[in-house]
Amino acid sequence: MAADCQSLLELTMEGLCQPPQEVGSEVTNQLLDLQWKMGMAVSSDSCKSLKSPYVAVTLKVADQSGQITNKSFEMTIPQFQYFFKQFKEMAAVIETV
Amino acid sequence: MAGELEGSKPLSGLLSGLAQSTFHGHTGITEELLRSQLYSEVPPEEFRPFLEKMRGLLKSIAYADMDFNQLEAFLTAQTKKQGGITADQAAVISKFWKSHKTKIKESLINQSRWENSLKTMNWRVDLKSQSKHLDQINVPVAIVELELGKSGQTQKK
Repeated sequence: MAADCQSLLELTMEGLCQPPQEVGSEVTNQLLDLQWKMGMAVSSDSCKSLKSPYVAVTLKVADQSGQITNKSFEMTIPQFQYFFKQFKEMAAVIETV
Repeated sequence: MAGELEGSKPLSGLLSGLAQSTFHGHTGITEELLRSQLYSEVPPEEFRPFLEKMRGLLKSIAYADMDFNQLEAFLTAQTKKQGGITADQAAVISKFWKSHKTKIKESLINQSRWENSLKTMNWRVDLKSQSKHLDQINVPVAIVELELGKSGQTQKK
């Protein structure tokens, strides 16, 4: 699982991140950085033993004006596997273009 | 009157209703709805403590994520308590937990996720040929649309 996260990070940084000097020419937000962590929800007030693993991701994005914001979200393991699969497909397409 | 509460047939329905409102986030299931549908002969002031007792039992069982041995021990102890449950009721609760345990656990996990989750994801790959500031010939660009939200709301990023 951690190996998947690491390869996702490398894939994204390689294929999708571009140097900041091009920020003004983008028409969508630009991905500057992607950070991830894996956690485990252990316990909550309604369930003593949750034992629920998750992947949390923070994206640093710059908008057209150059303003930088962080967007973060969590995924369950199946959601993360779907997320990763999308990026692998994108990478495959980029290779062939 | 008390005999009405001890019957086991409506209890199964009551536990389903309780699970829907307590764990699965269904807001429409009121005490009055449950009483009128399942225990219409029982007056509200008698029904209320009964409902709360059942809700408390379900929450305790869910909190401890009891396996079947723990459940049997727990329910047996409840039958021996003053103001506890009958053996028939214990059997209904046991059967209910065995068939709904997994789904309830899933809902509890979802309830504990308070950050944004990933609702949908779309992407496309473009080939940039030129832009105003730079000549970029044939640069592939991946564009990703992530829909993030907490349960009940969505925001597109």
